[in-house]
Amino acid sequence: MLSYIVRRLLFLPVVLFGVTALIFALISTLGPWTRVATFVPSPDAERHVDLEAIIRKYNLDDPPLKMYLRWVKNLLQGNLGWSQSSHMTVTEAIARRFPATLELTLFAVIPVIIGGIFLGVISALHHNKPLDHATRIMAITLWSMPDFVLGLAVLMVGFGVLGWFPPGRLSAWAELEVLKESFRSFTGMYTLDSLLNLRLDIFWDALRHIIAPVFTLACLWWAFMLRITRSSMLDVLNQDYVRTARAKGLSEKTVIKKHALGNALIPVTTVASSMLLGLLGGVMIVETVFNYPGLGLLTSTAATRLDVPCVVGVALFYAVILVVVNLVVDVLYSIIDPRVRLE
Amino acid sequence: MKGKVWLWLVIALVVIGAGVLIWTGQAPKQETGGAQGVKFDPNIFVFVGSGDAETLDPSKAYDTASSEIIFQYYENLLAYKEGSLDEFVPMLATEVPSVANGLISADGKTYTFPIRKGVKFHNGAELTPEDVEYSFERNILADPTGGPMWMLIEPLFGVATIKDLACQIAGVDSFDQVNEAALRATGQRVMDAIEVDGDNVVFHLSTPYPPFLSILARNSSWSCILNKEWMIANGAWDGKAETWTKWHDLPTEEQALFEKAMGTGPYKQIEWDRSNSRHTMEAHADYWRGPAAIKTVIVNNGVTEFNTRKLMLQKGEADAIYVPVENSPQLEGMEGVTLIRNLPRLNNVCAIFNQEINAVDNEFVGSGKLDGNGIPPHFFSDINIRKAFCYAFDYDSFIEQVVLGEASVPYGVIPMGLSDFFDTNGPRYSYDLEKAEEYFKKAFGGEVWEKGFKLTLVWNIPNTTRKTACEILEHGIESINPKFQVEVQGMEWATMLPRRREGRLPMVFIGWLADYADPHNFVYPYVHSKGDFMAFTGELGRKFAAAEFDELVNAGINESDQAKRIAIYSEIQKKTIELAPHLMLYDAYDRRAHRDWVKGFVFDPICPANYDFYALSKSLD
Repeated sequence: MLSYIVRRLLFLPVVLFGVTALIFALISTLGPWTRVATFVPSPDAERHVDLEAIIRKYNLDDPPLKMYLRWVKNLLQGNLGWSQSSHMTVTEAIARRFPATLELTLFAVIPVIIGGIFLGVISALHHNKPLDHATRIMAITLWSMPDFVLGLAVLMVGFGVLGWFPPGRLSAWAELEVLKESFRSFTGMYTLDSLLNLRLDIFWDALRHIIAPVFTLACLWWAFMLRITRSSMLDVLNQDYVRTARAKGLSEKTVIKKHALGNALIPVTTVASSMLLGLLGGVMIVETVFNYPGLGLLTSTAATRLDVPCVVGVALFYAVILVVVNLVVDVLYSIIDPRVRLE
Repeated sequence: MKGKVWLWLVIALVVIGAGVLIWTGQAPKQETGGAQGVKFDPNIFVFVGSGDAETLDPSKAYDTASSEIIFQYYENLLAYKEGSLDEFVPMLATEVPSVANGLISADGKTYTFPIRKGVKFHNGAELTPEDVEYSFERNILADPTGGPMWMLIEPLFGVATIKDLACQIAGVDSFDQVNEAALRATGQRVMDAIEVDGDNVVFHLSTPYPPFLSILARNSSWSCILNKEWMIANGAWDGKAETWTKWHDLPTEEQALFEKAMGTGPYKQIEWDRSNSRHTMEAHADYWRGPAAIKTVIVNNGVTEFNTRKLMLQKGEADAIYVPVENSPQLEGMEGVTLIRNLPRLNNVCAIFNQEINAVDNEFVGSGKLDGNGIPPHFFSDINIRKAFCYAFDYDSFIEQVVLGEASVPYGVIPMGLSDFFDTNGPRYSYDLEKAEEYFKKAFGGEVWEKGFKLTLVWNIPNTTRKTACEILEHGIESINPKFQVEVQGMEWATMLPRRREGRLPMVFIGWLADYADPHNFVYPYVHSKGDFMAFTGELGRKFAAAEFDELVNAGINESDQAKRIAIYSEIQKKTIELAPHLMLYDAYDRRAHRDWVKGFVFDPICPANYDFYALSKSLD
């Protein structure tokens, strides 16, 4: 297995080259006069600006190959460049935004996977009965709901009506506490950092802020998980070995728990990993609605402002995550399902 | 076994999740206080906006979001007198210079400012005249591309950039050719223009410049006062004539004040959290006018979604928020919230007529000929076409329905906020299709009316206000003659920029927000042949401006007598209606929304910040 992992990791630079070369190839279709727009935030802000000077200064009129080689050279020195849209280096931007996204992902994955599997199993066990129909209708409704609509609805109820779950990552008072020198930042994830600092008040505040976006994400992905689990479970329940298990006179509980569920979860693992990847890449709309600045917002702002270094940097980072998560999932497969051999 | 582990994990997590939900659901009840169960803390002020500062360096900052923050940290020599745009009160100077008190020389070229004593910077250092001298010299020599420093370079040296000054001194055309000696001479020239004389700082202008005090006054981030010693310690220009090029035109992020601040203002910087677009500031305890009432201010510029901002205001999480014009009805009548509308700011919006369109492979001008399927490149150089377009725009409907009454019909290129400088009984355009028809019939000897035309109007995504303006104009024009075809197309800014620059857009929709409160700041960009807006009108447009307006604009800026200036600007204003160099769409108004408990708000039309936090306090009565 170790040689398999090493071989997969050796493949990483090839993936990274492919991703970045593709992006640069796309960017090369834009002229320097389009790219210079990054430096002028809006049409009304072009005042007394010598755009030609900016193009010369930042070498925006270089041929794409030269730009790419310069970028690779900087990358080898650990420099991903300056992000004009987020006012910091790309490395810093990712380092500061990723903990927020990771925190959101970690909190969202648990209810999504557990809730989705649970409901999927229930649905499959009550196949074509009212409970099954109810969960399926719910799943389809939630799945087809646009995320900004659901997000705003959750915000209106959770914050506007109940006042429980405010937007942002922390309340004003907690922000000030976090800024103090006595508060040490370990991970950039406020829930974890506050516990490590033994500040339960800040922990609850951070938790209160994260619940609404997590709930929204969970609702959106529940449906997805539910449907996969349900169909996979139905499939397994019709297998011969389940029939055999039942014929042996095992209780229904044992049949489901010991014989069906484990096998039904294999496709779910695949889906869960792709969901995890989606969440780690940042969820733009939910982050916007709940003012939760993570990677999704960073990427969308950078893309709309044609902030090339930032877009390429995030793509690179995301490619690394993708390769690593896929590798972890493959390894997990071989643990869950003994039939899978890594070679 | 595996199944069991899964199940236990599921149960444990569900229980924890439920516990957390219940617990956190109860938490806010303990924390809330004040009226209607919303949070009230008199010591913290939270402003929630959208769109963060580009930089905190005063030599580079040229956007409202940046100036808004700089405004709280730094101060200027003077401030506008409350409620006035042409009278001043002293700030870091102790007197306002005038010819009468002898602080402005009789020829209008020397300004003397006695510097206030006992003023403390945020680090405890005391303000000296040397700090003032250094602040201006440093910013002028830094002169980054796209920055605001031209405003000071123009009155002091009569050129637009410091590179131009160096070229002028060296007698060469390009900055690359300027030799070492000339570079040093340039540094020396700047240092000679601003000098310390005892307790005073003296400015030597190259020509009399009536708006000079406006350019120095509070709200002008480019003229704020820095701390020389701290600046040098933090890697800024060392104050020597021969070294300035090392700090000249640095990339934004390499400037010393990009993310830091050290001023004398009422608030000192605690942090700029760039990844959350949030500024945290604390009242300056040794502030010379006495410490601010509100101890801590948080400016959160990262909330782009209006509904989120609205809820934060409603629940008291925010004390004030930024409200775009189209959203203000949503706050009307909200409990505990004050909405103030129709505040006259110095801002107007126009559609520039490109008098010489670059018609080569141009998708916006149809055939590029006057054959009914396009427009010729010089279409808008015919005054009849321009006037016809001006009469074909339904100003009232636009103002009522699109900007919801928060605007007025322009009297020309100078906006309502500066109405002291022109005649408010003067002519204006109105929506009059008969007149439009009359002018269309005269245009190109009747050919336009006979053959018709086709053109495309371009607006920048996501500015839907401009999109609607294009559509209203389209409707007006197309209803005059079925042969007139107008198309409306949206475009991302990055796609639009090269086309606008190459002169391909038949009309350019754009707005101007004042740098300082003087009509010169409007007439120059709008109608001077070298102004920013005339740059979009082609060679023919610039020649037209040079023939019709340059002399008047120059007369206005070189005249010191206020009455004569008013006469000149009234004439320019009237002439911009008569000759219609641009279609002036509307003079924009502003609005504010804050909790009722915010006291002390005074609107200042030229202030870049939504709020002067120093003037505010919070109280529940």
